[in-house]
Amino acid sequence: MATSKSANTYNRQNWEEADFPILCQTCLGDNPYIRMTKEKHGKECKICARPFTIFRWCPGARMRFKKTEVCQTCSKVKNICQTCLLDLEYGLPVQVRDAALKIADEMPKSDVNKEYYTQNMEREIAQTDGTVAPGELGKAKATSDMLLKLARTTPYYKRNRPHICSFWVKGECKRGEECPYRHDKPSDPDDPLSDQNIKDRFYGTNDPVADKLLKRYTSMPQLDAPEDRTISTLYVGNLGEDVTEKDLRDNFYQFGEIRSITLVTRQQCAFIQYTTRTSAEAAAEATFNKLIMKGRRLNIKWGRSQAQGQTKREGESDQAHLEPVPGLPSSLPHPEEMQNNFFNLNAPPPMLPPPPGMRPMRPPPPHPRGPPPPMRGPPGPPGMRPPPPPPGMLPMRPPPMMRPPGFMPRIPMQTVHYPSQDPTRMGATGALAPPGTTK
Amino acid sequence: MPKVKRSKKPPPEGWELIEPTIDELDQKLREAETDPHEGKRKVEAMWPIFRIHHQKSRYIYDLFYRRKAISRELYEYCLKERIADKNLIAKWKKQGYENLCCLRCIQTRDTNFATNCICRVPKAKLEEGKIVECVHCGCRGCSG
Repeated sequence: MATSKSANTYNRQNWEEADFPILCQTCLGDNPYIRMTKEKHGKECKICARPFTIFRWCPGARMRFKKTEVCQTCSKVKNICQTCLLDLEYGLPVQVRDAALKIADEMPKSDVNKEYYTQNMEREIAQTDGTVAPGELGKAKATSDMLLKLARTTPYYKRNRPHICSFWVKGECKRGEECPYRHDKPSDPDDPLSDQNIKDRFYGTNDPVADKLLKRYTSMPQLDAPEDRTISTLYVGNLGEDVTEKDLRDNFYQFGEIRSITLVTRQQCAFIQYTTRTSAEAAAEATFNKLIMKGRRLNIKWGRSQAQGQTKREGESDQAHLEPVPGLPSSLPHPEEMQNNFFNLNAPPPMLPPPPGMRPMRPPPPHPRGPPPPMRGPPGPPGMRPPPPPPGMLPMRPPPMMRPPGFMPRIPMQTVHYPSQDPTRMGATGALAPPGTTK
Repeated sequence: MPKVKRSKKPPPEGWELIEPTIDELDQKLREAETDPHEGKRKVEAMWPIFRIHHQKSRYIYDLFYRRKAISRELYEYCLKERIADKNLIAKWKKQGYENLCCLRCIQTRDTNFATNCICRVPKAKLEEGKIVECVHCGCRGCSG
């Protein structure tokens, strides 16, 4: 700060003059009509030690007065609240946020380096529009699973309570009911949480709160998908009263097609049935412990609606009395194997293609192996498939016009012959044919 | 606070009736002034002074306006000799200020947001169960 007009201002340290503090919702308190006092250059920033504008306010009834502790440059560099030093977006300690976003922010801590760093940062902030944090933080923008799980949904006003009365702890408080401090049991001095300091919390090192949160994240429950692949229903609990079916549909449709949504208003829960298992899995993965709707964190579990349970039981009873019948073809290939191989083009050519003229004579059922006939529809999920016959019982009955079974090679998907696959036929292997032959 | 040196004029009639009480309050004030401040909060040190000052003014005010026990002459003598605080009594005559504890508590220019002291807030308007003890004079509420 220049003390006189003639003083040289070149490269002088900037003293902050702000009109409004950078604060989180918790620190502001629950009162929308808050009164604040402003003191220009009231104290030095606890991190960069430059004078800055102090704001002071009371965050609600029976709360202690709060004030800004770090300057706005320091706050912008880390995107944190000026008072509680928690991330403005997630309300989490700097260490947790940096660990989740994999930011390694090396801030200098020695005097001269710190001054130089703040100067550079201020210049960088002045160049941007103020919506993106400078430095490493602005570049890391991918949201992390961990942050979404650990973030607070609502402001935590208990943090604004008065400090514990030190006189009362010693048994000497004479103020009784009038005492503005809290008459409460002090926290355990051996507890690591009772040993915090503002610098460590700002730089994100040795922060006991962050350690606690990271530990909590590792021990967080995981949502395991049930074994039964037919279940494609999710249970959604803790809905609250004003969540409608439309809200749920709007949110859950993004993971896949929904077959039905059953909203149980009385229990404040809903069942969302997807048409496919994969979309249900995607939804469970993306929403478990993360989805916040109308200010409440929804409780996501795997469920099974009534109808689903019945079909499952039927499927089981089918499976129970199924026995491999000798002579039947082996089970159909898994749909994934068949993907993009509708005409069996990748398989080696059949050993002995029957003459094309003989094809219509062949009885259609049973198909030895190959693509399923169109009328049967796609095969059911693996759990519903009849178990394949034991290896010894593989196709006993030789297809007509074939060599004896001993001669038949055990390569799947090659016995069906389609005329279009005939290598002699023109256009069957268009891409593979030499250019001269097709023209 | 009365001046140490009184005027030469002899006090009006009836002075000898109120003199013992005034002397007693003076004595109490003297004691409060010499009281040790150890163990007291910084703001607490002045509270007894304010209280005795209020008590003395209140005594004269009651005798003249409520009980009508002293003559106007004597009342004016007390104000002139600064036995009673005439500014405080002037406030007591106004509606809503009948029990005002001290003048500091209505001095809005001394506060951040130009407000009165917390003891000036009526009980009904305070939040439930809030216990008030103002920092200026230790008043626990002087407004209804």
